[in-house]
Amino acid sequence: MLDEVALLLSAALIVTVVVALFSKSVSVSLISLFYSSLLLGIIFATYGGILVGLVHVITFAGAVSVMLLTVVLMTGESKLMVGRRELVLILTLVSIPIVGVASYEALEGLPQAASQPTIPGISTLFQFIWEFRPWDLLILIMVFAASMVAVVNLLSSSRSSR
Amino acid sequence: MPSDQLIFTVTATVLVVIGLGSMAYSRNLIKTVMAFQAIVFGANLALFSSGLGSYSSYMSQTFVLFSILVGASVEAVALAIIVVIHRKYGTLNPWEIRKLKH
Repeated sequence: MLDEVALLLSAALIVTVVVALFSKSVSVSLISLFYSSLLLGIIFATYGGILVGLVHVITFAGAVSVMLLTVVLMTGESKLMVGRRELVLILTLVSIPIVGVASYEALEGLPQAASQPTIPGISTLFQFIWEFRPWDLLILIMVFAASMVAVVNLLSSSRSSR
Repeated sequence: MPSDQLIFTVTATVLVVIGLGSMAYSRNLIKTVMAFQAIVFGANLALFSSGLGSYSSYMSQTFVLFSILVGASVEAVALAIIVVIHRKYGTLNPWEIRKLKH
């Protein structure tokens, strides 16, 4: 059964990404990219990567989508392009199997999780990273901090030059 | 019926190819960032599927976590650069920006 779920989720992911990248309206692209982020998070969570799926949804469907929306509103790009009505229809049709699969997995996964308490949890992955990849974690924190400093520097210098 | 790993690997390849094609085709910097995000999705899915059903699952999930955070950092910097470019040139079309530069 999991093969069909993988096929369905993969097809929906490809369709949402294609709609996001090739639609004329930036707003439709944003909505579709949000859907694809959610889909990839569902794929990760369904196949054992609960922490990865959670972080993915929080990062991409949450933070990055909000950043993209802010940039689109600041630059006014949403007014420049003309949207297509059929793409909204495609999005609606794609969202129906997503909701179906998600609800199916939720209904199917609850009793299994109750009967199998030995599923590796989130803390196991944290422990693995802390024990075996601490230097990678340090480098990652440095990259993240450097990017945040770069963003603040870019935005503040542009403000002072006006 | 193909296995999950094969399905996800093919999907990841398709995502990367679509992202690269859109990045080359796009005339809008915001769409370019979206194409980069699609490539990151493909890379994450490929990394995740490489550890499916094996003992190296934790290792692949660790790499996916790092890839997610690095991708988000790169995207934040790219969006800040887009805001600066829009304030300076008033457009997000890379061809017009290239003309305005000279």
